[in-house]
Amino acid sequence: MKTVEEKSKAIQKAALVFAIGLSSCATTTIDEFRQGQTGIEADETIVILGRREGSSFETDSDFVECVGERMGQGDNSISVVPEREFIDAMFPWFEPRNAPLRASDLERFMIEDIVARKMDEFRIRYMVWLEGETETDRSGSLSCAVGPGGGGCFGLAIQEDDTNFDATIWDLESLRNVGQINAAATGTSYMPAFVIPVPLPARVEANACNRLAVQLKDFVNGS
Amino acid sequence: MKLSEIDGLTFFKGFMIHIVAGLFVSCGTSNVVIQGSFPTPAINPIPLSVAVYYDDNLRNFSYMEYSETGREEINIESGSSHVQLFDAVLPAMFERVITVNSMEDPEIEEVDAVFAPAIEEFQLALPAKTKLEVYEVWIQYNMRLIDSEGDSLADWVMTSYGKTPRETFLSVEDGINGAAVVALRDLASSFALNFARIPEVRDWLGSL
Repeated sequence: MKTVEEKSKAIQKAALVFAIGLSSCATTTIDEFRQGQTGIEADETIVILGRREGSSFETDSDFVECVGERMGQGDNSISVVPEREFIDAMFPWFEPRNAPLRASDLERFMIEDIVARKMDEFRIRYMVWLEGETETDRSGSLSCAVGPGGGGCFGLAIQEDDTNFDATIWDLESLRNVGQINAAATGTSYMPAFVIPVPLPARVEANACNRLAVQLKDFVNGS
Repeated sequence: MKLSEIDGLTFFKGFMIHIVAGLFVSCGTSNVVIQGSFPTPAINPIPLSVAVYYDDNLRNFSYMEYSETGREEINIESGSSHVQLFDAVLPAMFERVITVNSMEDPEIEEVDAVFAPAIEEFQLALPAKTKLEVYEVWIQYNMRLIDSEGDSLADWVMTSYGKTPRETFLSVEDGINGAAVVALRDLASSFALNFARIPEVRDWLGSL
């Protein structure tokens, strides 16, 4: 006859096997459209900004930060000016109400001597605009209960994520749009629970971030 | 925090938010004092001296959000953040700025104009009520420019808007604060860049 401890260990092993069997995964697709030649010097930088105009737009600042961090790592890394630092330094020109919507608007901005001077101080060569979001659908059933003798959860929660982000690259030297890159990723996360919930995230946004950053790095470097 | 870690936390957040919201509903009135940092605008100042007068309504402005049953739910105090915002923006807009405590202050005689902002309306949208995934704040202002003798030079209405996604924050208070700070920055950006384009202001500047 098994002891309570042995039964508990058996349940934990079964949970682990079930968790491995339900291994989460994500697929990512990258599309690139080039409209001009690119290349960047060692002392030049780029800035990555999220689109947030109006009530229907809210590009996740964590995703913007992630792409910037990844571009600053590894081979052919690129120096990226942090979004918040740039927006605060250029305040109020890049607040959602005032931010340029098209590359052709940059000419109007650069006429302002104070804007042109600050852009020069940052040594910005390319401005990358990110817009997109992750849509999430949740299903499954997870119940948790707590009583005098203890507590726990039982069930299975499922989360399907659909991420889609567009990156538009503006060349500040020519004041032109030089390309667009789209990153689309889907994946399913699971959270089985046998007393203790075990999250198995698909890391959909993280995968999209990594792939988009690699593609952007190559694009800016002219590859 | 890395995005890979955030992906894992996001999964728990859906449940955490419901738990926190449930606790919030069962508590008394919550108080939120809006706090934020406002950068100095990168603009060329207009060569004028201006006195700014913050009346008590603006300094002590607060907004009460009520529940559907009429119970006081959240009290939002934004007076001090408005003062902080204008104190950051006005010195960048004008060559000289002083603060006066009343319209009878003798220092008003020495300036070109007095600026007296007023908050007319404050609106708040909470995810728990709208079923959207954002906190939203709308604020309407009455901007007044007065000469040293008390006559109106310009009087116009401005609105500002701010939003912040729910999933970025865990607490309702943080969400409200985030949306309000965005709204205040929106006001500053609109005011700083469009001041000279207000028809009455443009006419007044042209007459100097």
